[in-house]
Amino acid sequence: MTLQKFAVTFALGSVILLMAGATRSTAQSHVNSPDPLLGTPSVATETSQIDGVTGHAESGKHLYRRFCIGCHGPDGNGQGMNAQWIDPQPRDFTEATFKCRSTPTGTLPTDDDLYNAITRGFVTTAMPSWRPLNPQQRADLVAFIKTWSPRWAKEKPGASLNIPPETPITIESILHGRELFQKLECWKCHGPAGNADGPSAATLTDSKGNPIKPFNFTTGERFMCGDTNRDLYRIFMTGLDGSPMPSFADVIQPNDAWDLVHFLRTLQVALPNQELTLWQSYKAAHGKDLKPIGPDSAGGAQ
Amino acid sequence: MRMKFVAALGLTIAMGSALMVFATPPAGSGSITGKVTYTGTPMKMKPIDMSKEPSCAKQHATPITTENVTTGPGNTLKWVVVYISAGDEGTTTPSQGVRYDQKGCEYLPHILPMEVGQQLQIFNDDQTSHNIHPLAKVNQEWNKSQPPGSPPIDTKWDKPEFISVKCNIHPWMHGYFVVLKTSHYAVTGDDGAFDIKGLPPGKYTVTAWQEQYGTKTQEVTVGAGAATANFVFTATPY
Amino acid sequence: MSKKFSEGANPMSTKFSRWKTILTCAFLLIAIVACDVRTASALPTSKVIAIPAFARKYGLPCSACHTAWPELNNFGQVFRDNGYQLMNDRDSPIWQNPSYFPISFRITPSWHRETTTNQAFDTGNGTFTQAGFDLSGMDLWSAGTLYKNISFVLLPSSDPTAVWHFEAAFIRFDNLKGSRWLNLRFGRFEMDNLISEKRFLFLSDNGGLYQIYHFNVPGSINNFGYGDNQIGIELAGHSANSYTRYSVSMLSSNEGGVNFTTDVVPGAPPAGRSYDVNLAFSQAFNAPGGSGESGFGLERVGAFAYIGQRPTGFLTEGGVQQVGIDNKPFYRIGFAGDLSYKNLELLPLFMYGHDNAYLGIPGLASTTPLPLGAQAPTFYGGFLEAHYYFNPQNVALARFEQVNVGQQAFSNIGDGSASNGNITAITFGYRWYPIMFSRAGVALDAEFSRVRTIGQEPLGGISTGAVADPTAATWSNSIYLGFDFDF
Repeated sequence: MTLQKFAVTFALGSVILLMAGATRSTAQSHVNSPDPLLGTPSVATETSQIDGVTGHAESGKHLYRRFCIGCHGPDGNGQGMNAQWIDPQPRDFTEATFKCRSTPTGTLPTDDDLYNAITRGFVTTAMPSWRPLNPQQRADLVAFIKTWSPRWAKEKPGASLNIPPETPITIESILHGRELFQKLECWKCHGPAGNADGPSAATLTDSKGNPIKPFNFTTGERFMCGDTNRDLYRIFMTGLDGSPMPSFADVIQPNDAWDLVHFLRTLQVALPNQELTLWQSYKAAHGKDLKPIGPDSAGGAQ
Repeated sequence: MRMKFVAALGLTIAMGSALMVFATPPAGSGSITGKVTYTGTPMKMKPIDMSKEPSCAKQHATPITTENVTTGPGNTLKWVVVYISAGDEGTTTPSQGVRYDQKGCEYLPHILPMEVGQQLQIFNDDQTSHNIHPLAKVNQEWNKSQPPGSPPIDTKWDKPEFISVKCNIHPWMHGYFVVLKTSHYAVTGDDGAFDIKGLPPGKYTVTAWQEQYGTKTQEVTVGAGAATANFVFTATPY
Repeated sequence: MSKKFSEGANPMSTKFSRWKTILTCAFLLIAIVACDVRTASALPTSKVIAIPAFARKYGLPCSACHTAWPELNNFGQVFRDNGYQLMNDRDSPIWQNPSYFPISFRITPSWHRETTTNQAFDTGNGTFTQAGFDLSGMDLWSAGTLYKNISFVLLPSSDPTAVWHFEAAFIRFDNLKGSRWLNLRFGRFEMDNLISEKRFLFLSDNGGLYQIYHFNVPGSINNFGYGDNQIGIELAGHSANSYTRYSVSMLSSNEGGVNFTTDVVPGAPPAGRSYDVNLAFSQAFNAPGGSGESGFGLERVGAFAYIGQRPTGFLTEGGVQQVGIDNKPFYRIGFAGDLSYKNLELLPLFMYGHDNAYLGIPGLASTTPLPLGAQAPTFYGGFLEAHYYFNPQNVALARFEQVNVGQQAFSNIGDGSASNGNITAITFGYRWYPIMFSRAGVALDAEFSRVRTIGQEPLGGISTGAVADPTAATWSNSIYLGFDFDF
C-alpha cells in the first residue's frame, strides 16, 4: 500500500472521529465538573448512615446516572425517558414523599427505610431489587436521593414506628381483626373480601392525580413494602404517603394492630399462610354466624 | 335615642358580619373593603351524588353542589380569599385556633384560611370514616384515617401554601387550607364582599385568590379610614 | 519472540512501516483526545438518554445491566441468571403491553483496513491488503420469558452476506423447585464463560475474537473452540446476587452443530455420537476501592474445565462419511477473572489445552498405533484485557494475548518449529455511545489490532490461505471504525 493511500485512509478516519468529537464538545461548556447536569449543590455534602456503612451522595450520583436515570429522570422527579410507559409511575424524589417508611405520615423516612426500599425493590412495579449492588453502593444511592429535595436539609426523619412483639395467631385475634376491618371501613376501598372492589375503589387517585387501585389481597401478591407480618403492620400504621392509603396510627392500639394483620392474611386466599388455614377451619364450622362485612342496614359503620 | 341608634347600628353590623368571615383584627384603624365579581360565563356547579354513602346522603334533602365556583347575585364570587401579600409587617401566631369540620360528607368551611403556625383542629362529625389528605407540596403531605367518634386531629402548618384537601374514601369532598403569613385576610361570602380591618396606614399589595381562576393583585394605599379595592375575575365555563 | 527470524522479515524493522504504525496509533490517540471525554461525561444526561427489548420491557436504562453494552455488569448478570427476569411478579409476558415484542436487532456498518504479511500469491509472495467500507453480520435477538420462570432465547444470526444460521436457540426452566440454584437450559447456547466473547466490546477482524478461545495446535483435527456456542443441556445456579455461580453442561461433541453435523451451515462433516462436559464455577466478592464508573468494585474469579472427545475416524458408505467413530478425548482447563478498581476493569484469563495424540494426526484411526514422535498436542496461554470507563458512555479498551504451543503434534519436527502456531496479539479500542436510550443504542467503535502468528495463517485477519514462508512470522493488522447500532 502506498504512502498516499495510507495518508488518505488516515485522514478519513481522523476526520470522522474529529467530527464526532467536535459535535460533543459544542454540546457542553462545563468542562470542569464531572456531571454538572445531575443533582443539586447538596450533592457535595449529603451522606447517609446504614448500620456501619456511610454513603456519599457524590459517589451515588454516578450510580444514579448508571442505574436510576431511565425512570427517575435527570431531575429526580420521576420523569425519566421511560416514565411515560410505566404504571405505577416512578417515585418523584423532589417531593420527599415516600410510600414505604417506618416513620409517621408526613415525615421523612429514615436512611434505613430508603436503603430497604432500594434493596427490596417494589414487586409488581418496574422498580427492581437492587440487591446485586453492594451495600456501599446502595448507601451512596440513598445519600444521593436525599439531595433532590430541600426538605432533607431542614427536617429530621420521623421517629421509627415502635412495633411491639407479634401477638399469637389465634382465632380470637382474627375475629377481632375482622371487627376492626369493618369498623375502620377498610372495605370501602379494599372490598369486603379484599378484592379491591369496595365502593370507593373505582375513584381513587394518587397525590399526583393518577388513577390508582387499592391493594387486592386475594391475588396473593406480595406487598410492595415487604411481605412479612411486620411489614404489613407498618403499612397501615404509617400509611403509604403519596397514595390514598392513610395512616391508622392514631386510631388503632398497637396490639389491636396485630389482630388486623392476622385478619388481613386470611384475605390472601391465593397465598397459603397460617392465619388462612386457621380461618378456613373456623369458617367451616361457624361461617354462617359471621356478620357480613360491608355497609350495615342502619346505613353507617358500626 | 342616641343609644338606640348605636345599638341598631351595632346590630346591623353584627348581622352583616354573619355573611362574612373575619380574622382577629390587630391594631390600626384603616381597612380595605370591596367586592369580588366576575365577567363571562362561569362553570356550572354540579349536584353531588352521595348514594355510595347513605349516612351522608340522607343529611341533605336536596343534594349539595360542587363548590369550585360559587356565585351570587350580581355576578359575585364566594369563597375568594383576599389577603395582604406585601406591605404587612410580621405577625405573631394567634393563640386561638381554627376549626375544620367534616359533616354530611362535606368540608365546612369549604375554604379555611389560617396563619402559619396556627393551630388547626379537624373534626369528623359524621357516622362514616373519613381520611384527611391535605395534598401539600411545600408543607408536608400527610394522610390520616379518622373514624367516627375519633378525637379531632390537631395540626398546624409551617409554611404559607394553598393546600388542596381531599378525602380518598369520598372523592367528591374537596376543600382548601389557605395558610398565610399575614393576619390580614378575609373570605368573601354570598354577597362577594370582603372587609380587611385593622390596617395601619400605608401602601399594601392585596391579592385575591379563587381556587379555579387563580389570583388577581392590586396596590392599595390605606389611610385612616376604609380604602376600596374591587376584584374582577374572568370566568370560563370550564 | 523467537530469535529465529531475520531482521528483514520483521516489518517493524523498516522505517516506513514503523512510521505507519506510529501514525495509526496516533490517529487513535487523536480520536480519543478529540472526543474530549470529560466533556462527553458532561453530556446532557437528559438528552441521552444490548438488548433494548429488555430495556423497553422494564424501563431501565442500558447502563443498568451493562457496563457498556453488550458487556454485562453484575446487575445484568443477576437478571440473566434469573432467566431474564427481575423477579418482580411482573415478568411473565401477559403483563406486558401487547404492542411490546421481545426482539432486537444489531448490525455494524464499518470502514476497515486489513493487512497480512507473508502471504502466497500466484505472482509471488507478499503482503495482502484490503480496505474499504463493509458490513458486519446481523443478529436478530429475541429473548425473554414465555411464562414466569420459563425463559427463552432465539438468535438467528447472519454473516455479512445474509447467510443465516441459529447462533443460539434455547429454552430455560428457571428456579426449579423454587431454588435459584437449579436452572435447566436446553438447546444451543453460549457456554457459561466468565469472560464472554459474545458480549465483549471488540469488532475488528483481528481484535474481535479471543485467540485462545479458537486455538488448536497446528495439525490437530480438533475443531473445539471455547468461545463457540454448543448444543446440549446445562444445569446452572447462582446466589441471590450472583456472587457465587456454577454451571454443569452436557453437550454433544459436535461443536454445536445441527443435523448431526459439526456445524450450523450446510456441508459440514457428520459428527460422532458422543458427549462433552463443561464445568464452570466463579465467586465474586466486594473489595475496597469504591465502585467508580465500571459500576461495582466487584472482583470475580473463576475456574473452568471442558472435557470432550472428537472422532478420529468415520463410518463411510461409498466414500461418503456417515458418522464419526473412534473418539479420542481432549480437555481445556483454566482460570479467569473480572476485576474492578474504580473506573478500571481488568479481565485476565489463563487456559491450558490438551488433545489426545490421535487428534493430532489427521486421518489416523485410533485403532492404529501412533507413529514415532507423535505426542499429545498441548497449548497454554491467555490474555489480559483492560477497560477504562470514563462514564457509562465512553470506554477505552486494550488487550494483550499470548498463546504458545506446549507440545506440537510431532516431537521430531525440525528445529524452529516448536513455536509453530504461536500467537501474540495486541488490540486497542475505544467505544463511544452517543445515545443510550432504552429504545435503541449506537456505539462508535474504533479499533487497532496487531497479531503475530508463527507458521500459520492468522485466526482472524484476512489471508490467502497459504502462508508464503512457514518459518517466518505472519503479521496481521486491523484498523477498524464502525457504527454499532441496535434497536
